Amino acid sequence: MSFTAITFSTQDFFKTESEKIRARFEDSHNGQAAVRERSDLVDKVTTQLWDSAIESSEELGNVCVVALGGYGRQTLFPCSDVDLLFLSPTSPDEQAQKQIRKLCQDLWDLHLRVSPTTRTLADCGKLHRDNVEFNISLLDCRYICGDKDLFEQLREQIIPKMVARDATELMQRLADLTRARHQKYGQTIFHLEPNIKDCPGGLRDYQVAYWLTLISELEKTRVWPKAENILPATLREDCGTALDFLSAVRCFLHYRQGRDLNGLTYELQSEAAAAGIGSATATRISPSEWMRGYFRHARALYRLTVLLDEVPQARSGLYRFLENRKSRLSNADFSVVDSRIFLRQLSSVEDPAVLFSLFEFVARHGLKLSAETERCVEAAIPSMQQRANQHSELWAQLRRILILPHAGAALRAMHRTGLLVLFFSEFGAIDSLVIRDYYHRYTVDEHSFVAIENLHALRAPGDDLQRRFRDVLDGIEKPDLLFLALLLHDVGKGVETPNHIEGSLQAADKIFQRLRLEIDDQDTVRFLIGSHLRMSATMTGRDIFDPKVVQEFCDSVGTTERLKMLTLLTYADIKAVNPEALTPWKAEIIWQLYAASSNYLSRTVDDQRVDAQTSNEDHIKRIVSAASPDVDSRQLISFLEGFPKRYLLTHTPDEIVSHFRMHQHWDGVEPQVDLLKQNGYYQVILLTVDRPSLFARVAGTLSSWGMNILKAEAFANKAGTVLDTFRFVDLFRTLDMNPTEKARLKRSLEDSLSGESDVRETMETKFKPATKIPKVKIKPSVRIDDESSSHSTLIEITAQDRPGLLYDISSNLAGLGCNIEVAIIDTQGQSAIDVFYVTQGGGKLDPSIESRMRDVLLQLL
Amino acid sequence: MTKIEAVIQTSKLEAVKTALHEIGAEGMTVLEARGHGRQKGHTEFYRGREYTVDLIPKIKLEMVLADDMVERAVEAIVNAARTGQIGDGKIFLSKIDEAIRIRNQERGVSAL
Repeated sequence: MSFTAITFSTQDFFKTESEKIRARFEDSHNGQAAVRERSDLVDKVTTQLWDSAIESSEELGNVCVVALGGYGRQTLFPCSDVDLLFLSPTSPDEQAQKQIRKLCQDLWDLHLRVSPTTRTLADCGKLHRDNVEFNISLLDCRYICGDKDLFEQLREQIIPKMVARDATELMQRLADLTRARHQKYGQTIFHLEPNIKDCPGGLRDYQVAYWLTLISELEKTRVWPKAENILPATLREDCGTALDFLSAVRCFLHYRQGRDLNGLTYELQSEAAAAGIGSATATRISPSEWMRGYFRHARALYRLTVLLDEVPQARSGLYRFLENRKSRLSNADFSVVDSRIFLRQLSSVEDPAVLFSLFEFVARHGLKLSAETERCVEAAIPSMQQRANQHSELWAQLRRILILPHAGAALRAMHRTGLLVLFFSEFGAIDSLVIRDYYHRYTVDEHSFVAIENLHALRAPGDDLQRRFRDVLDGIEKPDLLFLALLLHDVGKGVETPNHIEGSLQAADKIFQRLRLEIDDQDTVRFLIGSHLRMSATMTGRDIFDPKVVQEFCDSVGTTERLKMLTLLTYADIKAVNPEALTPWKAEIIWQLYAASSNYLSRTVDDQRVDAQTSNEDHIKRIVSAASPDVDSRQLISFLEGFPKRYLLTHTPDEIVSHFRMHQHWDGVEPQVDLLKQNGYYQVILLTVDRPSLFARVAGTLSSWGMNILKAEAFANKAGTVLDTFRFVDLFRTLDMNPTEKARLKRSLEDSLSGESDVRETMETKFKPATKIPKVKIKPSVRIDDESSSHSTLIEITAQDRPGLLYDISSNLAGLGCNIEVAIIDTQGQSAIDVFYVTQGGGKLDPSIESRMRDVLLQLL
Repeated sequence: MTKIEAVIQTSKLEAVKTALHEIGAEGMTVLEARGHGRQKGHTEFYRGREYTVDLIPKIKLEMVLADDMVERAVEAIVNAARTGQIGDGKIFLSKIDEAIRIRNQERGVSAL
C-alpha cells in the first residue's frame, strides 16, 4: 500500500469520525467526552500513519511517538494544537527525520495543527531554561505508538529524575508565568468578554494547579500519582463541575469559529446561552444569567491559585525577608503564614465582630485569606442569616474597611465568600452582572471594587495630576461616605428601573436603614449616587470654560465638600470602566472643571446671601421643619436672613436650629460661646456682634491653649450678628484629660472677646510652640481679587501650616484696618488654605493698602 | 476624495455627529486633542498654585469623503459647532490620492 493511498482513506475516516464527534457534542454538550473522543481519534490516525511509515523505513524502529500537552492529557479541543514528541535514544538520522516530516505533513493534511518536536532521552532529562514550557509539557506525556520501552524509560526514569532535581525551579517558573498571565488580565476573573483559557479562572489555571501538585508529588515520591487524586480533595468537586462547563464552552467556541479562539464575545455568549451550553437542564436562560454561571465556575478555578502561594518565589533574599516579616502581623485572632491569613480558632468567624475584623485585617495589610479560612467563612455564613439584619455595628465595621488601603481586595473577598450579599442583599443583583457596552471591561460588581481601588491608589500618585487628586482626597472630611457611594453607585444596574440611578438610590435607601446611617450622611451618599454621571455629562456635553456652565454645575453641587467628593467619584468611576478609559485628556478636564467650580464656590460666598423671607428653598424648609414646635419659625427665618448661602449648605438643620437657640438666649451684648466635642475634634461656636479683631482674638486664644485649628468660618447675617465656628484638635489632650478645663477655655474666649484679657499679650508671653521642620515645603502665596465680590476684596492665602498662623494673619489684617466680612479657613495636609472677604470703611480695599497687605502677609508666611 | 479635519469644542461632538449623519456622512475618526489657536488659553489660580490652561481640550474629527459631499459636510460641521465665540475651532481640507479597504482591498470612493 502506498503512503498516499493510506492518507486518502485516513482522511475520509478522520473526517467522518470528526463529524460524528461534533454531532454527539451538539447533541449532548458534553465537552469532556468530545475532547477525549477527539484525542482517541487522533491516536488512531497517528498510529495508522506511523505503522505505514515504519513499514517503509526501518530507521523509525527505535523512535517513539509521544503525545504532550493537552493532547497528552487526552483533552484535545477541536482546534487545539496536537503536540507530538518524536523520542529517540540518539538523534535520528536523515532518513528517519524525513519520515517524521512526512508523517507530520500527512497530519497537517488532515487539518490538524501539529506541533512536533524531535528529542533524545537525554534532551528530555535536561531543564530547558529558555523553554521551560517543554519541560512542563512532558508532565502530560502519553504513549501513542513506536518503541514502548523507550517511552517507559522516559516516564519512569527520566522525567521523575528531572522533576526531582529541578522541582523548585520548575514550580517557580510556572508560578511566575501564571502571575504574569494574571497580571495581563488585570488580576480579575470579571471580564465582560473573557478569554476562557487564559483569563484568571480560565482552564489554564486548572492546569497550573494540576502541574504544581504533580511536580510536588513527583519530587517527594518519584512516583506518578493517579490523575484523579492529584488536586486536593476539598477543591476537587467544585473544580470538576467547572471543568465540565468550561470544556463544553471551549468546544463550542472552537466548533463555532473553526479556530483556536477562546474569547467569549458578547455574540458568542448569546449563542452559547441560547444553545444551553454547559447547562444540565433544558431551560434556556438569558445571556447575563448564563455569564453568571460562567463566573461562578471561573471563581472555583481561580481559587486553585492558592496553590501558587506554596511555591517559593524566585526572588531576592531581601524580598523573601520582607515577605517573611509579614508573619509578624499575626495577632490574637489571625496568624499570617506565607502572606496568607489563617484563623487561630476555626470557629471564631461565627462571631460577626471577628468576621468583620478578619476583612479589616485584609483591608489594612493587603493579605489574602488562606483556602481554609475562606472555607470557614463560607461555612459560618448560613448561621448568620438571621442576625444579619439586626447587626448594630454594621456601619462602624464597614466604614473601617472602606477607608483602608486594600479595601478593594477585602470587599472582593467578602463578596466571594458571600458575606457582602448576606448583609447587603441588594448587592446580589449585580453579582457577576454583565452589562454589554463597548467600553466597560468588567462586570458591574467588579467595576465598583476597581473604582474603590482607584481612589486608594491615589495615595501613591504616579504623576502631578494624580497628586492633585490625592490632595483633594486628603481634604475630605468623611471619605467613608465617598467609598460607600462608590460601592453602591451602580447597584441599580441589577434591578429593573427606568434608569439605573433610580434603582441605585432605592437600594441605597434600604441599605442606609440597615447601616443606621445618620440622616445627613444619607443625604451625602444619596447626592453622590444621584449625581454620579453629572460631572461627566457636564465635561463632555457643556463648555466648561463658560462661567455660566460652571455656575450651573456649582448650583447643582452646592458645597465644596460635595464638589470634592463628586470629583473623586467621577475620576474613580471613569477609570474603572477599563484601564485606558481615563485618558490624560479626560483627567485634565475633570481637574479643570473641579478647579473652576472650587474657585467659583469660594469666590462667590460673599455675594450669595440668604433671602429667607422670599426664598422657597428646600434648605430653609428643612431647617424650619427640624425645629421643635416651640420655635417661632418667623424669628428663625429672620435669623437666617442675610447669611451666606454657604452657611445653610455646610451646616445641618439641627446645627442651625441650635445656633438659633443660642441667638434666642443672647442678650445682644455679651458673646455666646459654645464648645462641643465631635468625632475626634472640638468645635467652638461663637455668637456676638461684630467688633475689631474679633477673628484674631478667637484664633489667638485657641492657639495660646495649644489647639490646632483645622477649619474655621466667619459669617454674619443681615442684622449684623456674627456667627463664627472654629474646628480644632486638642493636640495635648488638655480638655480630654481635664474636663474642668473646658469651662476655663470658654471663659478665656469670653474674656478675650470682651476685652478683659489681651490676646496679643497672651500670645507674646504664653505662646511657645515647638518648632518642627515641615516634611513638605509649601510655597506661600497671596492672591488679592477685587472682581469676585461686589462689595468686598477677596484675599486667598496658601501657606505652610504652623501653630499660630491664623492668629498672625487675622491680627495683621486687623492691624491694617481691615474688617473680615467672611472667612473660610481650611487645612489640607500641611497646607493652610484661607479665604477672607475683607472691607475697609464699608467698601473694597484701596490699591495702596492691597499692595502693603501683600507685602506684610508674604513676610509673615 | 477630500480629507476633512475639524477641530471643535468637546461639547459640540454630539451635535456635529448628528449633523453629519443627517447628510449621510457616517464614517469618522474622533480623537481627543489639546491645543490652541489665537485663543491662547488663560491662567487659573487654584489654592495658591497658578497654572496656565494654555492647551485647551478639543475634539478632532477626521473623515475622508467623496468630493461631492465635502461642501455639505463642511456646512453641517459649521452649523453644528458654531457658537460665534472665540474657540469654536477650525476645519482643514486636503486632497486624498487613494483609499483602500483593508478587508477586500477595494480602492477609491467605494472603499470609503
